[in-house]
Amino acid sequence: MAVHVDTMLGLYRDMWMIRAFEQGLEREFSKGNVPGMLHTGLGQEATQAALAAHLDATDAFFPDHRCHGINALAEERHAGTGRRIMAELFGRATGVCSGKGGSLHSANPKVGNFGDNAVEGSYMATVLGVALAYQLRGEPGVACCIIGDGTVGRGEFHESLNMAKIWNLPILYACVNNGYAISTPVAEAHASGDIVDMAAGYGITCRQIDGNEIDTAYLAVADAVAQIRAGNGPVFLEFKTWRWQGIFSGEFRPAEEVAYWKNQRDPIKLAASSLLATGEVTQDELDVIEAEAKDEIEGWIGFAMDSPMPDPEKATANVYVGWEIEAR
Amino acid sequence: MTTDTQTRTRSFVQALNEALDLCMDAYPEMFMLGEDIGVMGGDFGVTRRLFQKYGAERVRDTPLSEAAIVGTCVGAAMVGMRPVAEIMFADFLGECFDQLVNNAAKVHYMFDGQFKAPLVVRTACGGGFGGGPHHSQSVEGWFLNVPGLVVVAPSTPADAKGLLIASIEDDNPVLFLEHKALYSKKGDVPEGMYRTPLREADVARQGSDVTLVATMRMTTEALAAAETLADDGIDVEVVDLRTIRPYDVDTIVESVNKTHRAVVAIEAPKMGGLAAELSATISEECFGVLDKPVVRVAGLDAPIPFSMVLEKYVLPGRDDIVSAIRSM
Repeated sequence: MAVHVDTMLGLYRDMWMIRAFEQGLEREFSKGNVPGMLHTGLGQEATQAALAAHLDATDAFFPDHRCHGINALAEERHAGTGRRIMAELFGRATGVCSGKGGSLHSANPKVGNFGDNAVEGSYMATVLGVALAYQLRGEPGVACCIIGDGTVGRGEFHESLNMAKIWNLPILYACVNNGYAISTPVAEAHASGDIVDMAAGYGITCRQIDGNEIDTAYLAVADAVAQIRAGNGPVFLEFKTWRWQGIFSGEFRPAEEVAYWKNQRDPIKLAASSLLATGEVTQDELDVIEAEAKDEIEGWIGFAMDSPMPDPEKATANVYVGWEIEAR
Repeated sequence: MTTDTQTRTRSFVQALNEALDLCMDAYPEMFMLGEDIGVMGGDFGVTRRLFQKYGAERVRDTPLSEAAIVGTCVGAAMVGMRPVAEIMFADFLGECFDQLVNNAAKVHYMFDGQFKAPLVVRTACGGGFGGGPHHSQSVEGWFLNVPGLVVVAPSTPADAKGLLIASIEDDNPVLFLEHKALYSKKGDVPEGMYRTPLREADVARQGSDVTLVATMRMTTEALAAAETLADDGIDVEVVDLRTIRPYDVDTIVESVNKTHRAVVAIEAPKMGGLAAELSATISEECFGVLDKPVVRVAGLDAPIPFSMVLEKYVLPGRDDIVSAIRSM
């Protein structure tokens, strides 16, 4: 284990926060308390915790649709609590976007969250502008763009990588390759199943890593962010991982595959094994971390459920800057 | 228009160039990007000499990547820059439609006011020069249904300058339409900085018998038609829309309440576009005073063909306006 045990314990806690967040959300979604659609980051906790650990409030990250966990961790770290992300997913007035955005459009620039976009890959173009602004103003910020493997099919993927390279922009591309775009396997959708090959084709510093090993992911992100801050241009990281959530109608992947990833490659179990193997951490300590994370998340769910719905007339606010539009 | 300075004769292109130059000088947060806008000065010369004056960082040539161009604008605007993009031909807006519609127009709204998108996308639109199906379209209708977006369309050199300055200074995303047939048109243009207000139509010609609402090249055609009709004893009031979205309902209604007849003249196909929108509003707002149904003079329901003979057949002109008004 290349990461200090205290850091690892923090990351272990972050991964449990993500898992508890998503599992709590799944439960409330099934009860009808969460409107819209739900895409969870279950199984991808290591990748998300690693990214969240290295992004400052003065950086900008564009989360993908499975990044509730990163959004919540950023809120927690830079605003004290992640409960306003939860409230947003419940469509409440106390949410980070007052209920206008929901799961697929949660943003809060004060914590560096520049918002998801339900048109996957759309923000691969947007991230260029944030990074260019940092560069033009001589600011140290990193613009991080978190995408899934499916996004590789978008034209913006290629336009973005090309322009990030020619302009030497401070962008961290974090590609979470979980094997499938909804139901379509990566190998059927892209010329290379190793997405990192495509980034290499644009001459971008790139690396493929095991996205389920938190220490590996953590160090890879640390190194990438340091390189970018040093002015060395964009870095592309491909995290090989696997999502627990099937598709809307249920599980579609072979039983052996599901069992392998959930039993042998669970990022939280892997981290627990590493921690216990040091002899410096006990199972009881890990159990306390897990229980505290679950308690914290239940508090956020309670906050969301107790929060008021938005005033319907707010639906016409902020269409334009400075111009009111006609109300109903 | 608010100015007490001298006016000079300038072309539409020169007027736009002055606006860009003045704003680049006044606003360090402004930069421009687009295809061949640098050394070459743009396909139509609108950015001529600005690269030499302001340098490659602020006058940026790009690859043929319209989504990345507009995405860069959105991202930079989200962090306080004031980008101005050139999309060489409006027909190419399909390549960055998502960036305009789903990002530029929505970041302020969907994140409930946490971001603004003060960007301008300039583009050359319209037919009349043998540009063929992909270099000639009038695209305003594509964007009428997009809340959050501002669509501006000057018809005189003075307004071109004043509206472009106002658009750059505005905190909303502006799609700025420059009709190619107007680029060489000359007119009196005041010196220095001045603003032509957005969302305000201009009564370009006072009249008492019929209200003729037009935009861009069709305003020129409308004024010519009005002179012809004056010889018949028909006194036409020409309203130049100037801002297409959101447009100035009050000026139109006030005019129609005076004249009791309305014609709208728009270059785009009649179906589902600006002509239909204006006609519907006039019918709703002025039904009680209208002596005749509103008449639409618009393009035929066909793409713009290449051969000038064919193109002339498809596009509306002054003769169509004259015929329409004579038959009312």
